[in-house]
Amino acid sequence: MNIYLKNFLRFCIIILLQVFILNNITLHWFTSPAGALFNPFIYPIFILLLPFETPVWVLLVLGFSLGVTVDAFMTTAGMHAAATLLVAYLRTNVLNALMPRNLSEYINQQPSVKNMGWTPFLVYSGFLLLLHHIVFFSIESWSISGFGPLLLKIGASLVTSMLFVIVYILLFTRQTVTRA
Amino acid sequence: MRNFILIIRRFFNLILFVGLEIVCFILIAHSRTLQGDDLVSSANTAIGIAYQKQTDLVYYINLGKMNDTLLSENVRLRKLVDRYTTLDTLRDTMVHKALTNTDTTVHIVKYADYRYRTAKVINNSVDGINNYITIDRGAKQGITKGMAVISSTGLVGRVEYVSANFASILSILSNKQQVSAKLKDGTFKSTVWDNEHPDVFMMKDMPPELKIKRGDSVFTTPYGNTFPADVLIGRVAKVELNKKNGKQQLYLTPATNFRNLQYVYVIENLMSEERKQLEELPAKK
Repeated sequence: MNIYLKNFLRFCIIILLQVFILNNITLHWFTSPAGALFNPFIYPIFILLLPFETPVWVLLVLGFSLGVTVDAFMTTAGMHAAATLLVAYLRTNVLNALMPRNLSEYINQQPSVKNMGWTPFLVYSGFLLLLHHIVFFSIESWSISGFGPLLLKIGASLVTSMLFVIVYILLFTRQTVTRA
Repeated sequence: MRNFILIIRRFFNLILFVGLEIVCFILIAHSRTLQGDDLVSSANTAIGIAYQKQTDLVYYINLGKMNDTLLSENVRLRKLVDRYTTLDTLRDTMVHKALTNTDTTVHIVKYADYRYRTAKVINNSVDGINNYITIDRGAKQGITKGMAVISSTGLVGRVEYVSANFASILSILSNKQQVSAKLKDGTFKSTVWDNEHPDVFMMKDMPPELKIKRGDSVFTTPYGNTFPADVLIGRVAKVELNKKNGKQQLYLTPATNFRNLQYVYVIENLMSEERKQLEELPAKK
């Protein structure tokens, strides 16, 4: 499939998943039923899964439009966009640190479990999602008074987001069928 | 000049990153002000239509629950009607006398005149710092900014943004708005707001001599111009003594179940404009 079409479809699917399914999942981990709520965010995975050699400015523009779209759906006015931009900006550096060869050598490939292995991929997505969650929840609370709940919120949301990222990867990676 | 262009080319990514972040923060700062309009919000027509489609899909799943709440509301309203049927004629004459202004005795007349509109909730959030609810009515159906919104069980919020066919409501689960509130006995008024836990309201600095029990109801007051009086806000869940200043803190659970909100009533206060004009007179002097 054409790589542009593929990524466009992924953009739509991820927005639909995030807005219509994951946003309706509100969890209260570690707190009473009336306590703070968490929301899993998986939409930054669109930025994480773009091809290796995507230039940074394209990543930034795509990250901004992705964030603003999610913001429009959730009435959060630029908070998601700000967090996603950071992910888009740092993605290339994190990949450079994690990958054994130069990024330009991976032609027409995208970061995936297949060519990275589970551990590097989880480190890559976990680190960038952690940054995303820290930035988003800090901007959202906009104060240092509730520092404990903020950390709890970041931690619990990150764990749930990572679970959903793994589920997404397992669902949308083409499996090689092995017959005995 | 050449060096300048070289620097721009070298740091183009960083400049683009910082520039876009600045755009984001301008958007955020815009929405932080009380009257600020979001440039991107869920009252947007395209997004409203998307949410409407989703609601159409999952609408039938919650019909049973909705039916129950409507039934219980009917029972409550029926009780109210029973109470007023005997008094009806008396109340009419009272209103009539005060308006003709022929005698000097003081009559208390209820001036506020409300118009109710139903609306279907098509998007809902409970886990943010400021939570918004999108409904499928907008300016074309007579919704304007600042109208109060209640559900069949209690207070919901006020209309914040309006487009042609959709509106977004800032729910009372929000740092931005405080509600003037009173306890069941009507003696004390204070504001209600959200703390870190989205499903809990707080009433701070209540005098320690006040006797408050768990389960006491808290209602809106007529002092604010937005909300009609005597709408149930919530019930007291916990009473705590603040050791720093010796005053009581109340924790309330909201009367409205924000997690499965289906229908809301948008209330138009027909006297609101007149009252606003009057109350702004001293400020202009």
